[in-house]
Amino acid sequence: MNDKKLHIDPAALFLMLGLIGLVLFYIWPFTLSLWYSLLDKPVKGSFVGLNNFIELFHNKSYLMGLKNTLLFIGVSVPLGMILSLLVALLIHRVKRHKKLFTLVFLIPLVIPSGSMVFFWKALFLNEGYVNALLNFIGLNGVNWLETSAALYIILLIFLWKNLGYNMVLFMAGIHNIPKEYYEAAAVDGANAFQTFFRITLHCLTPMTVLVVIMSIINSFKVFKEIYLITGSYPHESIYMLQHFMNNMFYSLNYQKLTTATCILVLIITLMVQFLFRFERRAVE
Amino acid sequence: MSRRYADSWIMVSLIFLGVLFMLPLVVTLTNSLMPANDILSHYTTRLSVFDIVNGVKERYIQIPLIPSQISLSQYADVLVNQPSFLILLTNSLKITVPVVLGNVIVSMLAAYGFSIWKWKHKEKIFFIYIVVMLMPLQAVLVPNYIVADQLGLTTSYLAIILPGIFSPFGTFLLRQNMKSLPKEYFEAAQVDGANSLYMFLHIALPQMKSGIAALAMLVFIEYWNIVEQVIIFIKEYYREPLSVFLSHIPSENISMIFAASVVYMLLPLWFLMLGQKDLEKGIELSGIK
Repeated sequence: MNDKKLHIDPAALFLMLGLIGLVLFYIWPFTLSLWYSLLDKPVKGSFVGLNNFIELFHNKSYLMGLKNTLLFIGVSVPLGMILSLLVALLIHRVKRHKKLFTLVFLIPLVIPSGSMVFFWKALFLNEGYVNALLNFIGLNGVNWLETSAALYIILLIFLWKNLGYNMVLFMAGIHNIPKEYYEAAAVDGANAFQTFFRITLHCLTPMTVLVVIMSIINSFKVFKEIYLITGSYPHESIYMLQHFMNNMFYSLNYQKLTTATCILVLIITLMVQFLFRFERRAVE
Repeated sequence: MSRRYADSWIMVSLIFLGVLFMLPLVVTLTNSLMPANDILSHYTTRLSVFDIVNGVKERYIQIPLIPSQISLSQYADVLVNQPSFLILLTNSLKITVPVVLGNVIVSMLAAYGFSIWKWKHKEKIFFIYIVVMLMPLQAVLVPNYIVADQLGLTTSYLAIILPGIFSPFGTFLLRQNMKSLPKEYFEAAQVDGANSLYMFLHIALPQMKSGIAALAMLVFIEYWNIVEQVIIFIKEYYREPLSVFLSHIPSENISMIFAASVVYMLLPLWFLMLGQKDLEKGIELSGIK
């Protein structure tokens, strides 16, 4: 079948550039990170096993960043999914101007975070517009960005900006549900409630797993908003992993940086693996 | 009857949500047309002599939906009177344009390479692409820094641009996009004696058009909004892209902030208007399936 002559597969030539880049800029430094995280110093270091990991888990700032990051994922992912599913269902059902409505929810996604910073600050500073309104109706305002309320404000801004992404994924999922299912349900006399849970949600399960994965990855982007609005040292309720890493960058602490990176990679890998397995079981 | 009732409810709730979502944008647009003095009087909270005389103890920010006076003075400041703004805008371009072009070219070639590659372990290699792609920026920054350090680039834009060019996301996206292309196309072309470069230029590329548009848009949006890498690699404020600089604009320039914000969002908004379908497609393809 194949004539065994030595020749280079042309595919390899097309792949070469991309593969070299991937190895050089991702795989190689990832491996190096893993190696550094097991040494006591990057230059001529000696092997210290899991010492860096143990040390990191005794570091208060790191734990705070890790806790807040996981907490933010835990809150923003389900909330964002429910909201985007709701909007996707509404747009699916609406008769006119589908494209326009979709556009409206996609716009925040493309607007650079920096362009909105001044507006958000004007709203939520202690002397901001929200407190002006509260004051006007006789209520006392809250210092939104410098109390634990900051988490909710950031959550609000994050949902505003990122809702469109999941919405598009859900819309594609809803679009692919065969119409016959609904017709059959209508013949069987199923009510709206049953139809929604038994058909819409059921058929969306694989898409939902996908949305969970993408939401977890995307939820790390919240750092942009937090950093731009509140700077390097925000209120401790919104101090994220990346804040900790930035401070380690200033002192160039390779051990803490690489160790934190390895833990993050491990967490993400485990989460994704778990979700994939869950999806496979759900589909069967 | 009840069906119609439901339809109008859907319309009303969508319009309500839509208006709510557009409000920040609308306010930014209308306020960019306010004259400088009005911005200062609405957005500064320091008490003036008059306030103290009048017994005002606290001053709050006021955000008017519609300015009482319309002027283009903010835009004149941004585009003509303050050249520094345009310099910072070119910083953004200097980072974004090479990443978009480079990543699209590398990804086109690699995606095509993957689809014609006949090695039986190629899916395993592709799986590595997916794993790296799934890593959030926070997990990639330290490896990026290590490479930049070894290449002596830690203060150069290249420290940001090079990893951007080789980011595996584009290869993934375009390969997904090409999976819908029937294999028979390639086989037929091969029978006719076409080589792989010919097939790339005449079969794969035309098929990838919408995927390339989607990829270019997603990468552009991401790097136009770059923050994390800038904090680590760029120390001087005059080399910052606007995505970061806008957040700490000096107080003497506060009066032009809305126009500056609007100018900075024009390009991505324009791309969205041109290619809404492409962006939606890009998001759909970015899902791992």
